[in-house]
Amino acid sequence: MRSGPDIPSLVAGLAVLAFGGVLMLDAFAVFDLSFAAFGPLACATAGAILVANGLGRRR
Amino acid sequence: MNGTLRRDRSQGWLGGVCAGFARRYGVDPALVRVTFVVAAAAAGFGVALYLLAWLVIPAGEAPRRRRLPTGRGAVEVSLGTGLLLLSVLLAFRALGIWFSDAIVWPLVLIASGAALIWRGSVGPRSRPDPAPLGVPGASANRPVAAEPAAPAAAGPPASEPATTAASLSRNGIGIALVIAAGFAFLQATGALNAARDVVLALIASIVVLGVIFAPWVLRLVRSLTAERSERIRSQERAEVAAHLHDSVLQTLALVQRSDDPQQVAALARRQERELRAWLAGRPAPGQAARLAPALEAAAADVEDNHGVPVEVVVVGDRDLDPAVEAVVAAAREAMTNAAKFGGGSTVDVYAESTPAALQVFVRDRGPGFDPAGVPADRRGVRESIVGRMERHGGRARITSSPATGTEVELLLEAER
Repeated sequence: MRSGPDIPSLVAGLAVLAFGGVLMLDAFAVFDLSFAAFGPLACATAGAILVANGLGRRR
Repeated sequence: MNGTLRRDRSQGWLGGVCAGFARRYGVDPALVRVTFVVAAAAAGFGVALYLLAWLVIPAGEAPRRRRLPTGRGAVEVSLGTGLLLLSVLLAFRALGIWFSDAIVWPLVLIASGAALIWRGSVGPRSRPDPAPLGVPGASANRPVAAEPAAPAAAGPPASEPATTAASLSRNGIGIALVIAAGFAFLQATGALNAARDVVLALIASIVVLGVIFAPWVLRLVRSLTAERSERIRSQERAEVAAHLHDSVLQTLALVQRSDDPQQVAALARRQERELRAWLAGRPAPGQAARLAPALEAAAADVEDNHGVPVEVVVVGDRDLDPAVEAVVAAAREAMTNAAKFGGGSTVDVYAESTPAALQVFVRDRGPGFDPAGVPADRRGVRESIVGRMERHGGRARITSSPATGTEVELLLEAER
C-alpha cells in the first residue's frame, strides 16, 4: 500500500519541469539565457535529481 | 525523514553543524564539511551559512543515526551534492560575488581531495554499540573460516579485497585532486612556468629513485603480505587447536575414565552435536546468547563431567561476541583444570562486566602448580587460556601456590 509520493521521482520531475520552463521562457525570448546562467541551472537540475535518487535508494 | 535537526557537538569540529546535518540526513559528514568549505569560497557564503545554522539550530541529543547510503547511492549523493555546489559557485561567479578563479577552483579541488584522503585513512569506522571488547577476529567457539564478516554500519558487508580496492581508488582520486589543485593554482598565478624546471627535476628524481628502489619496495611488500598471511594461518591453527583441546580431547579423557556405557554414549552424542555445529559455523545447541547464562552453562557442564561443585557469581551482563565467547571458553578451561587438579575443592567463579572491561576470576583451593613448569605439549593453560585471551585482545594471569590454591584472572578491556 503506497503511503505517499515517491520522493526521488517527485524531485526529479519538479527539477526537470523547472528546467524545461526556463528553456521555454528562453525560447519565447522572455529573457536571454546565457551560458553563465545555463551552466548553474543544468548543474542544479542534475544535482537535485542525483541527490534525491541517492537518498531514496536506502528506503 | 523523522527526527529534528540538532547540532551534534559530540562529533563536530566547531559547532557540530555539519555533523548534525550528516546525522539528520544520513550522509557522510565529510561531504557536508566539504560543501561548507567550498561554499565559503563563494564570497564567504558558506561561512555566513554556517554561522547562521550555528545560531539557529539548537545543540542537543542528535536523532538516531540514519543508515548512510552505500554503493551507487553514495556515489549519486556525492556527485549530486558536488553538482549542486558547482551550480551555486557558478551562479555566484556569474553574479560577480567572487574572490578569484585562482583561489576558488584550487580550493574546491583541495577540499574534495582532502575529504577523500581523510575519509580513506582516518575517517569514521563502523562501531557497534556498546563498544565491543577486545579485537574483532576469530570466534572462540567456531572455525575462523566460518566466521561471518562483521556487519558494517553503512550497509552490507564488503569483502576485504573490495574494501581495499575502494580505499585505494578513493585515496588515489583524492591525491590526484590535490595535485591538480596545486597545478591549477600555479597555472592561475603564472608560477607554473617559473616552477617548471623544479618540477621537471623533481619528476626525474622520483623516476630515478623509483627505478632503483622499486625491487626492494616490491620485495618488502610481498614479504609483509606473506608474513601477515602466515600470522593469520597461525592464529587460525591455534584457535582450532584450542577448541579441539577443550572439546574433543576433554570428552575423550572423560570417556577413558568412565565405566558406564550409557554415560559414554551420551558424552559421544553431545560431543558429536557440538562438533557438527562448530564445523557448520552454527551456535552449539542450547548455546547462550549472554555472558551470565553462558558462564553458568559452562559451570554446569564442568560440574556434570567432573562431579566438583562450581559456584558462579556474575555481576553485570553483556551479549556474547567473539571476544566474550573467548573469555567464556577460557574460563571454562580454567574451571575444568580446577575441577581436575583442585583436589575436589569447590571451584569459585566471579565475573564482573562493566562497559570498560570484562573480568573473570576462577579460583580453587587445591595444591597449586608452577605455571612456568607446564610441559610444552600441554595446551590447556598455554593455548586454551593464555593464548586464547591474547588472540582476542585480552590477557590471562595465573597465580598459584600450595597454600592458597590457584587463581586464574581473565581480563578483556574495551577497545580504546
